[in-house]
Amino acid sequence: MAKGITGIANPYTKGNCRNMKTNFKPRITLFQCCNILSKDAFCKLEKKIDFDLDVVELPCSSLVKDVFLLRAFESGSDAVVVLVCPEGTCRYVEGNIRAKKRVQWVKNLLDEIGLDGKRLSLFNVAHSDKEAAVKIIENTLSDLSDLGPSPARSVRETEAVEEKKV
Amino acid sequence: MNNSIISKLHGVLARGDFAVTSECGPPRGADPDVISRKSGLLKNCVDAVNVTDNQTAIVRMSSIAASAHLLQNGLEPVMQMVTRDRNRIALQSDIMGAYSLGIRNILCLTGDHQTFGSQPDALNVFDIDSIQLIRTLCEMRDKGRDMSGFDLKSPPRMFIGAAANPFADPFEFRIIRLSKKIEAGADFIQTQCVYNVERFREWMKTAHEEGLTEKAHILAGITPLKSAGMARYMADRVAGMDVPETIIKRMDGVPKNRAIEEGTRICLETIAALREIKGVHGIHIMAIEWEEKVAEIVGAAGLLPRPDIN
Amino acid sequence: MIVGNQKSLAEIKEIVAPYKNLLILGCGTCVKTCFAGGEDEVATLSSALRLGFKKDGKEILIQELTIERQCEDEFIQEAAENINSNDAVLSLACGAGVQAIAKRFKSVPVMPGLNTTFIGILEKQGLFTEECVGCGDCRLAQFGSVCPIARCSKKLLNGPCGGSKNGSCEVDAETDCAWQLIIDRLKALGQLNNLKAYVQPKDWRSSNAGGPRKLVREDHII
Ligand code: SF4
Ligand code: SF4
Repeated sequence: MAKGITGIANPYTKGNCRNMKTNFKPRITLFQCCNILSKDAFCKLEKKIDFDLDVVELPCSSLVKDVFLLRAFESGSDAVVVLVCPEGTCRYVEGNIRAKKRVQWVKNLLDEIGLDGKRLSLFNVAHSDKEAAVKIIENTLSDLSDLGPSPARSVRETEAVEEKKV
Repeated sequence: MNNSIISKLHGVLARGDFAVTSECGPPRGADPDVISRKSGLLKNCVDAVNVTDNQTAIVRMSSIAASAHLLQNGLEPVMQMVTRDRNRIALQSDIMGAYSLGIRNILCLTGDHQTFGSQPDALNVFDIDSIQLIRTLCEMRDKGRDMSGFDLKSPPRMFIGAAANPFADPFEFRIIRLSKKIEAGADFIQTQCVYNVERFREWMKTAHEEGLTEKAHILAGITPLKSAGMARYMADRVAGMDVPETIIKRMDGVPKNRAIEEGTRICLETIAALREIKGVHGIHIMAIEWEEKVAEIVGAAGLLPRPDIN
Repeated sequence: MIVGNQKSLAEIKEIVAPYKNLLILGCGTCVKTCFAGGEDEVATLSSALRLGFKKDGKEILIQELTIERQCEDEFIQEAAENINSNDAVLSLACGAGVQAIAKRFKSVPVMPGLNTTFIGILEKQGLFTEECVGCGDCRLAQFGSVCPIARCSKKLLNGPCGGSKNGSCEVDAETDCAWQLIIDRLKALGQLNNLKAYVQPKDWRSSNAGGPRKLVREDHII
């Protein structure tokens, strides 16, 4: 499988105008299969851009449960990203396919509660393809600048961030 | 059944004449004039007219009422009755009511499932099936008892019909089912429309071998084709219908304005072939919303005038 | 097992809207197996509801609990404290479980979070099929253990109807024709003759048509 990005991507138009709804510090939770990257793959990016990234490593992406994804949003994430191995390369045969189906299920749940399923995405990333992974996070950040903070993040929380900036 | 003649249709068949029946769908409304108009088109060219019972589960005027209108117009109805919408209490009560109105022929059906109709949201009944309905009618007539075993003072005496589909699956079971209907008490059988004469002949042969053609009169179904599109639709979409490629090709092979002509020709050829098959005692022409066509077909097939039975 | 399906989040949100302290009560038997009302589903639903309410700026306090079975006192008692300390219960059990809880806790509103659908089996991973309607007078022996009442769309006892095509039911090509299955199976068992005899109309008194049913086992009543 060639390096690069495939998966349940989000169809935003990416303009360079940062049409931010609110000025906020984005928070992303990343669930990733430990067979792809080491945890510190995003150090550089974190230094470059001001955002919070929580990385959750899983022995296999199939261990990501519906409720983990939802709880990530409950604890204040604006977006949740799941990185899984390319199809056909899962160590546990079909873990990544299970993860994909589950992500789709939870995306529907998010849509149903009006949280926008676009905030959750899944990508297939080849082993140690750091570049692709970083690109995914960058794209997610850019998407978030359009989407704004998660509506389930309490208003106070976002305001606090804004105040600090002032 | 004792030997007295129950209805005109019964009389025609008992005499050994080749019977012709046709169909009349009650209106989606309460206007009896629709029935009168259709009656006019069918009068004197058929022995009896089937009155459908909320066919394809679309809500229409009841078959009992429409049958009564037909009677008033001087035609003999074959009242169809499906078990989809009524439980055994309502069925028996309606049979007695229908008889009291002068209705003498009945065709027992299970009925199309309501998912196809105008009320897919309805609760269905299916308390008994068509074979059990046949048995019920037979016991009422011959033993004078209703389903509960109660002796009826004046039991309804109906000429009992059933439907058969020689083309549905599982093929090998179709004869068993036919024989079950006849054992249960069916006096006559009207079949699904025949386009595949070969397959029908095969089915009739088995029926004959099983002695079934001695026990019941079989009327073969006929539906004239209007267009190639109709032929294809029936082949692909209508459950339990067998329209062979050769028929579709023939319809396809003529220009659109000659399609009706070709359809009629196929229809007449089929009737001629059916008359040669041992055990076929009549035809049942289902020209849906095309009642004016029936007289033409019956005439062209040389089946006029219809015998006079009184 | 009893198969059920979770109601839409929109419907659940509406049902629970009047309550501040809500217990979402799962059932660890049938509905757990069909991914509708077990521990995992309780957790997921609770989280989704919290998110949904938070997004709307409303508050709800959800307690999560799953007991082994909601249709037996032995297990129901384990939930008593939680039930009594909340404003309402959203039960993810089948309709029987919901009512069992409601009967036992007279002052607490108990609401269903599932649509209970049928008695069925796990045909294969992710696929559940209806097999029985609990008619109270089982005739499977006669029909090669394929139930014509639950699985034939017209409940035919002297089937099949004229709509059976290529093994599919006339109602929907994705549904097997029960009568094709009955015939195939009896043929394989050499019992096709079973079907030649007329089958009497069913006595529906044993079914729900005879009113709600009760089963009394004297030997277990002390
Ligand atoms: S016959 Fe009755 S009890 Fe037996 S499987 Fe069918 S519905 Fe269930
Ligand atoms: S097609 Fe088969 S399952 Fe469907 S209603 Fe007819 S007999 Fe029953």
